Amino acid sequence: MNLTVVVETLPYLLRGTVSTVAIAAAVVVLGTAAGVVLGLLRFVPWTWLETVVAWVVELVRAVPLLLLIFFIFFGLPALNIRIPTFPAAVLAMSLWMAVNTSEVVRGGIKSIPRGQFEAARSTGLTGLQTMRYVIFPQAVRRMIPPFVGLCTILVKDTSLAAIIGVFELTRAAQETIERTLRSFEIYLVTAAIYFAICFPLTRFAQKAEARLHRP
Amino acid sequence: MTGGPTAYSFDWSAVARGLPYLLEGAALTVLISAVAMVLALGVGLGLAALSQVPGRLPPRMVAAYVEVFRNTPLLIQIFIVYFGLPQLGLKLSPFLSGLSALVLYAAAYNAEIFRAGLEAVPKGQFEAARSTGLTELQALRYVIVPQAVRISFPALGNNLVSLVKNSSLVSTIGMVELMFVANDISFNNFRTFEIYGAAAVLYIVLVLALTRLLRLAEERLLPAP
Repeated sequence: MNLTVVVETLPYLLRGTVSTVAIAAAVVVLGTAAGVVLGLLRFVPWTWLETVVAWVVELVRAVPLLLLIFFIFFGLPALNIRIPTFPAAVLAMSLWMAVNTSEVVRGGIKSIPRGQFEAARSTGLTGLQTMRYVIFPQAVRRMIPPFVGLCTILVKDTSLAAIIGVFELTRAAQETIERTLRSFEIYLVTAAIYFAICFPLTRFAQKAEARLHRP
Repeated sequence: MTGGPTAYSFDWSAVARGLPYLLEGAALTVLISAVAMVLALGVGLGLAALSQVPGRLPPRMVAAYVEVFRNTPLLIQIFIVYFGLPQLGLKLSPFLSGLSALVLYAAAYNAEIFRAGLEAVPKGQFEAARSTGLTELQALRYVIVPQAVRISFPALGNNLVSLVKNSSLVSTIGMVELMFVANDISFNNFRTFEIYGAAAVLYIVLVLALTRLLRLAEERLLPAP
């Protein structure tokens, strides 16, 4: 164990951390927006659209994120679509985030009792108004714990961007290790930084979950 | 060639040529996931049992283990085992490094699932079992654990599906499985689109088959009481 190495290399790792947070933030914005749309599309009155969305979500969810990243970064240039490392990683992760968020949205909405729909419709609200004013506000509360859980997984999975060379925390650690050859200490500190971001999120999700079950 | 000199012409025969290797990789992915899951079930069950031991220290140690492994990236855990531990004199092969990292990671999730499962069985069940004359161990073995397993089964299944997908990360340290084979072929023949596409199809087949199988098992083997 060599603690001076840790102290000396910490600023560089923190620069990587800033990039990790930036990537995660971009993906949360893009992926969540797309995910909410995909999730709501599961409740449209046209069954064919619902079926198509359900299949796309199930197929994309079955592919490992690493393969999505490689497909977009190494595979798409075959179609003359060349995306640099950073946007390629953000795009792949946003796709991943979107399909998983859509499941959270669908689950949240499905957990609202049918009677709520019927009662809202019988007061004269249209289908869209029912969703907008009655169902969605109640469902959002139930979506928060799994959604925050998803964000935690996302922060951890941003480490995969390092494999195609995006500069973020894991890449910063790899570069530091190439210089110092102290892989054990550096990776341990890297893990600690990820933990410092993810653990509060996990705790928040647990508390939100517990609050749901309180009367 | 169509569409000018830079256009890519698809060569699906590359997939046909690569398919035997990709299928072998898929079989290895299944094998690695299965072995890792069996071991992770054992470790997870042990940890969950430890979390039920009276006293403060054992449950806290289990909670610490679970939180550390769930809140740090699997990729970093793999790198610590493969690149970090040799610095302390423990050098493992890519296979053993990848496998142990997958087991430790999945075990953290399994432990939490088992713990929740055990705690979801009403306390009265234990008391009733004891009052019929069963010993503590018998009550656990015949009354509590079977109910906890039924409660835990869907979450354990989801964890197995995640494990199949997460096993792709061990390709980064040179452990041979589906993702490694796909990288290997496409970096050699440059048919990245076709090969990664084929690998994606194989993962989809694996995951969809597994989810269907788990659902069937849940309905057949563990009917609701």
